[in-house]
Amino acid sequence: MNRIVVKRLVVPLCRNTSSRRFLALPPISSRFSTDSSPHFSHQNEETPTQTEEEVHRHGDQSFREGERGRGVEYEDEQAQVLQAALRHVVRLGWSEAAMIAGAKEVGVSPAIIGSFPRKEATLVEASSIWSNDDLARSIPGSAFPAIAKNAMDLLGLALPPNIPTSFKQRAMLVDEIWHAAGDQASDVDWYLKRTALGGLYSATEIYMLTDKSPGFRDTWSFLNNRVKDAFDLGKTVQEAKYLAEAVGVGIGSSLQGFMKRASRG
Amino acid sequence: MAFMTSVRNLRSKLPAVLTRTCLVHSHATSFGFKDVPEEDKSRLVGNVFSSVASSYDLMNDLMSGGLHRLWKDRLVSELHPFPGMKHLDVAGGTGDVAFRILDNINSISRRAVKYDPADNLNDETQIYVCDINPNMLNVGKKRAIERGLGESHSLVWVEGDAEALSFDNSSMDGYTIAFGIRNVTHIEKALAEAYRVLKRGGRFLCLELSHVDIPVFKELYDYYSFSVIPAVGELVAGDRDSYQYLVESIRRFPPQHKFAALIADAGFQKVQYENMVGGVVAIHSGLKL
Repeated sequence: MNRIVVKRLVVPLCRNTSSRRFLALPPISSRFSTDSSPHFSHQNEETPTQTEEEVHRHGDQSFREGERGRGVEYEDEQAQVLQAALRHVVRLGWSEAAMIAGAKEVGVSPAIIGSFPRKEATLVEASSIWSNDDLARSIPGSAFPAIAKNAMDLLGLALPPNIPTSFKQRAMLVDEIWHAAGDQASDVDWYLKRTALGGLYSATEIYMLTDKSPGFRDTWSFLNNRVKDAFDLGKTVQEAKYLAEAVGVGIGSSLQGFMKRASRG
Repeated sequence: MAFMTSVRNLRSKLPAVLTRTCLVHSHATSFGFKDVPEEDKSRLVGNVFSSVASSYDLMNDLMSGGLHRLWKDRLVSELHPFPGMKHLDVAGGTGDVAFRILDNINSISRRAVKYDPADNLNDETQIYVCDINPNMLNVGKKRAIERGLGESHSLVWVEGDAEALSFDNSSMDGYTIAFGIRNVTHIEKALAEAYRVLKRGGRFLCLELSHVDIPVFKELYDYYSFSVIPAVGELVAGDRDSYQYLVESIRRFPPQHKFAALIADAGFQKVQYENMVGGVVAIHSGLKL
């Protein structure tokens, strides 16, 4: 399970870099990506006609071709290294040393670390994903230690280039929490709930970082209050939604009427 | 004086070589814009580098405006060296890349207080500098002594051919080749050898002068390469032909995506390339698994 999750992390990372780069290439070379350093390089973006989807398709193609060629996928191997590295973090910290130890443990050259898009940050990301899993298991027990750990990780991630990933993980974490709470909603409420919980989580996390009370007592009460607010907010948003629907119906019918009149006239 | 002689040799040999190629079409390869029989290319390339060895670094600075230093730094940071690494730098006779890798590793070891104590890692870092040309290696050895690395066990100087390396299978963590693969007779063979000597997880990195596609810049670059570089070569190194060869060989080298395809065909995964200065140089990389 964890492997799949970590892979879920690594694959989009790689895809992110590649999809951006594929713009610069004619379709025939879709297997490769170019990197370009912002300092002294110019990309030959000569095919801006490619749509977003096409770009992604090229990206996917590249992975399929890669798989066909060889038994092992590098995403798999990278995920394994990261997992092994996490076991060394306690001893060596969020460091390259932990990653080197991880690589050695799974029997690949530590040189592979150079192929990770963001080196140590990748390790931290892997760990947040990992503890999302822990979190899913630990609810409805005490979820807090896992959250605390996540908070620290996310702090570590709060460096500018890593922010998008941090948000993505937040979304995944929030998803896990709702799932663990037994929520299977897939309607509009899905978005609503996730947005609400995401905000709640962030606020609580920030509160907790400065909370010195024993057992994070203040944080818990903060959280309780926020939950209350959130449910009220939920109600409010629900009402607003109904209103919007009503308005939408109104506008729709008047527009319909207008069109009818126009066609008649 | 020695290099002047070899240039003269080169000049006198070229016409003969050319007439021969007109007759023998089967195994021709490129020497600059000229097609020469395969067996001659490495000798001709050897002549070029023997003749420019002494002024090689000065010329690099002049031709690239010092940028080659930045490119090599970039190559090394892409490599992400680590202490205890076994690395092979091919065609790196003057030691430019090897010194950088060593500096990088030393700065890591100094910086990282937290190094894995449980690691039996006191296996020493070892950087093998392999070059087919003894003159280039001599320049590198001399520079190593100047840098106080004369006695260093981390640097090993090996005379050898990129197409037939003398290293064991799966013995290297990293492989770099900077401004070298263009001069190899069979690129595929060199790539296959790179793949062979690398360990699982090891990385191949190649820094090479490549192709510019940006319209106006391309024209400027062409003018610069074909008019300015040979002239500077004549002025500084007293050797126009060698630098003429240099710029021609750049144009004959496969473009970025084709070279990337060759790397993938050799078995590497996660093949990527990065253009610098609009493609004047590119860093290709691949991962062995």
